[in-house]
Amino acid sequence: MKKIANQILYNLKKEKSSFISFGVIILITALILNCAAVLLRQVDSAYDEKFEELSTAPLNAIVPEVQSNSELEKAFNEAEEVEKCESHTAIMTEATVKDFNGADFSMNTVFYNIDDKRTLNSFELVSESENDVVNPIYIPLYVSNFGGFALNDEIVYVIDGKSHSFTVAGVIEEMQYGNYGSGLLCAYLPEEEFAELADSYSSKTVVEYSMSVKNGASLDKVTNDVSKAIDNKGVMVLSILDSESVKGARTMVTDLLVLILAAFSLITLAVSVFLSNFKVKNAIESEITNMSVLKALGYTSAQIVASITLPYGIVSLLFAILGVGLSYALLPVLCSVLTVQSGFSFDISFDLPSFVCVACILCGVVTFFTFMAARKIKKTQPIDGLRGNTSSKHQKRNYFPLEETKGNTKFLLVLKQMIASKKQNVMLFLVSFVLTVLIAFSGTLFYNVVVKPENFMSALSDEVADVIIYPKSDSVSELEEKFEDDNRVQYSLKYMSAIVKIEGKTVTAFACEDFSKVRNDVCYMGENPREADEIALGSALEENFKIGDTVKVTVDDITKSFKVTGFVQSINLQGELCELSIEGYNSLFAKKQTPFLYVYLENFENAGKITKEYKSDYPTLVADTVNSYKLQKEAQDMYMGITVVLVVAIFAVTIFIVLFILYIVIKSLLVKRRQELGIYKAMGYTSSQLILQTAGSFMPVSMIAIMLSGVLALFYMPAIYQFIFETLGVMKNNIEISFGFLMLFAVAQILVNIIISIILCMPIRKISAYTLIKE
Amino acid sequence: MSNKKEIIIKATKLKKSFITGDTEQTIFEYLNLNIYKGDFTVIMGSSGAGKSTLMYSLSGMDRPTSGEIVWDGKAITSLNDDKLAIFRRKNCGFVFQQIYLLDKMSLMDNVLTASALSETSKKDSVKYANELFTLVNIPEITRKKFPSQVSGGEAQRAGIVRAVINKPKILFADEPTGALNSNNSTAVLDVFTKLHGAGQSIIMVTHDKNTALRGNRVLYVKDGKIYGECDLGGYTNDSKDREAKLNNFLKEMGW
Repeated sequence: MKKIANQILYNLKKEKSSFISFGVIILITALILNCAAVLLRQVDSAYDEKFEELSTAPLNAIVPEVQSNSELEKAFNEAEEVEKCESHTAIMTEATVKDFNGADFSMNTVFYNIDDKRTLNSFELVSESENDVVNPIYIPLYVSNFGGFALNDEIVYVIDGKSHSFTVAGVIEEMQYGNYGSGLLCAYLPEEEFAELADSYSSKTVVEYSMSVKNGASLDKVTNDVSKAIDNKGVMVLSILDSESVKGARTMVTDLLVLILAAFSLITLAVSVFLSNFKVKNAIESEITNMSVLKALGYTSAQIVASITLPYGIVSLLFAILGVGLSYALLPVLCSVLTVQSGFSFDISFDLPSFVCVACILCGVVTFFTFMAARKIKKTQPIDGLRGNTSSKHQKRNYFPLEETKGNTKFLLVLKQMIASKKQNVMLFLVSFVLTVLIAFSGTLFYNVVVKPENFMSALSDEVADVIIYPKSDSVSELEEKFEDDNRVQYSLKYMSAIVKIEGKTVTAFACEDFSKVRNDVCYMGENPREADEIALGSALEENFKIGDTVKVTVDDITKSFKVTGFVQSINLQGELCELSIEGYNSLFAKKQTPFLYVYLENFENAGKITKEYKSDYPTLVADTVNSYKLQKEAQDMYMGITVVLVVAIFAVTIFIVLFILYIVIKSLLVKRRQELGIYKAMGYTSSQLILQTAGSFMPVSMIAIMLSGVLALFYMPAIYQFIFETLGVMKNNIEISFGFLMLFAVAQILVNIIISIILCMPIRKISAYTLIKE
Repeated sequence: MSNKKEIIIKATKLKKSFITGDTEQTIFEYLNLNIYKGDFTVIMGSSGAGKSTLMYSLSGMDRPTSGEIVWDGKAITSLNDDKLAIFRRKNCGFVFQQIYLLDKMSLMDNVLTASALSETSKKDSVKYANELFTLVNIPEITRKKFPSQVSGGEAQRAGIVRAVINKPKILFADEPTGALNSNNSTAVLDVFTKLHGAGQSIIMVTHDKNTALRGNRVLYVKDGKIYGECDLGGYTNDSKDREAKLNNFLKEMGW
């Protein structure tokens, strides 16, 4: 044992710098992997703990106040698995928050009375103003963090075109309507402010029924029972949200981050395995004589294999521990980013199981693959080893014999070198191929977000005109005439929307006078409705209905039958929508509804001017105007910013991985070929020739992998994007795969590889012809 | 007799020293030497006398600490590394004691790798390489083998072919038979003799008397300078006079 320990120490000391560079990649892997493991284990439980701590109701249903009654609450209480039901009055409306992170932000919002006594859906005050503020409001953490509102800041909500100014009196944390993903955002007002708002919007006053469930109850069953109870009472539901859906939405980015971290840690782990394998094989080749001397002296193969394998195991363990330690410096940063998105705060503590898993995985995987590589020494007879051969077999095949192969000799030398480094080249091929998938993904995203933003935005948004005008009742025709006379306006469309119920399911209905004229046709299957009895259903209903079916649509007490003509998508509504013709829409209402007007301009740059002009010039006709182009542009800019960061990050990671692999491969190669390079120099080869020859031997494989992956991206990238968008509820997307752009990114990647290889080969200049004689 | 010959290399006030820690170890100093065209110059001396160091300095493989080396009227001491490499490819051929063939290439490929640097076409290079292989008695089948598959003598003869493929002005050989057995040594030395007979200038470092007998001019390096010089005349297979002359010379030198 002592003998092996001495050998291990000798190996560690001899290859100190090499083990350190290997350790760095293990450290990075451990850091990323531990972040993923800790987030995976702790965010989920932190969410559940907070959920319990704040007595959050697993199921919340919101109905219009006019339809709520004690019987409904009684029915909920009597539902088999409902433990308790509590009701609260609130105001539910679509509201636009002004200057939310530098732009206007529209969202369905529920305003609660903070003074209401509640045993369910409690909240925690994260911070509260010490001043007496005018029009106080308590906003959720998400609005504060993401929207950029601090205590005592003014926050303006625009409801139906009317601005309501509040002062942030406190920031709260709750687990139901606390982030964008849940589809509803909450805000709490003191009794007086709440009553004032409720008076202004009596039609938007709602009652929220919050239900806790019995232990072991199935949430799906409870949701079904509650939906049935609501159906039986003929009540329209404005929102019904269960805790699982909300949790999914609020922890979506965390899950995505864990997935990305896990993917990156897998790549770095694969790189570590490759490196340890590569280094061990190199060490065996260069140390074969010494190892054979040890064998000849009586050391067993197992002892020699252990002396090679264990240093890697020890280094992996040490650097894994360091990496895990460092991850606790990074985790708080990640947590603060996740808090902004998820809308709930959580602290990370040391996670022993994650640490053990990360250390065992890294140490185990590296030791296993190192052992597999080191086993080669077992097959080597001492005498072969002493002669410098790793096996008794001699080299058999001469690839590209210079005498017989046509072509430039210097080029053939590159090919020969390529074959001599085939294992490294296979790894480089695989790594380059996989990294090109990442590059192609980000390149395509860049193209569709920055170069052709309309492609991306059409998938994310619903119909967007340049200007939206909310007419006062009976002024629609007059406004339409004005648009016809205005040469800046291309055309306008009447648009309407309302909450309807289709066969018991609550969805948002959109009506348009002519769907063939919309810019963003969201119909992905079949056709848009044209006749009064036609309907196109949202993707969320695709499982239950098919084209040609008849569905019943209900608004209040009016129910009409419609024929399904197609299916439409909406990322914002998770596919819970439908489209109707204007006639069909109007037939659902006893009283005639006033549509709003989507205005499409000849030149979108006039949007701001027209928005202001129509509001100020025609106060009797126009209730409100929205510069829809500006809103879209702001959203577009936000996505552009995120995409540019993502593309830069992916490029940086790619360069780092390529740099690291080439560094290790070329450095080892230079050590191994030191004598050979000396011979070349003695023959009269210049440093530049040898640099190009060595760097060039890795280029063909890397170029082929990059170009192949880049060309194949034309076929696999649409499938990847289709999958991602379908997960988000977008069945049809306009994502364009630009061959030219893919090639541009591929060429950039190749250039980066060439430059890195040449730089890494520069030490060849320091190898002198005389070195081989001296050594 | 040597004075009438054309000088290829003229070394003036050559100094070579190594610094180890604070100590400077001088190998040779104020060394002046001429190398003549068509000569088979042998450099002898005791171990550590600086024979190889001198030869590699003259060939541009190593740089002297000071002094000047002029090849055909052109100083090579001021050339940068790449220019020196180009100079070597045009003017020098090297044969090493350890042979130093590229082990992943066949004997023929080793030779053609060197010829790739010349302006000769590949076809002509292959033809000339085959002629040289025939000259050194390496059969066609052996030319396609890897260095590890042939004997030391065959490998060294292939090394000589590689060294002369670009028709160098001088063939430098550093103990070319040092790692070979008697039969292989003789075969290798015969090749040198043949080449010299064909007009090839050679500088060879050796401490073997039999090897030295192949040369026509013997230089003895001692105490950091050319201690003595012996003109042996042309090589003949049975020349007891030459052997006696060399023995006397070496005795004088303190061998």
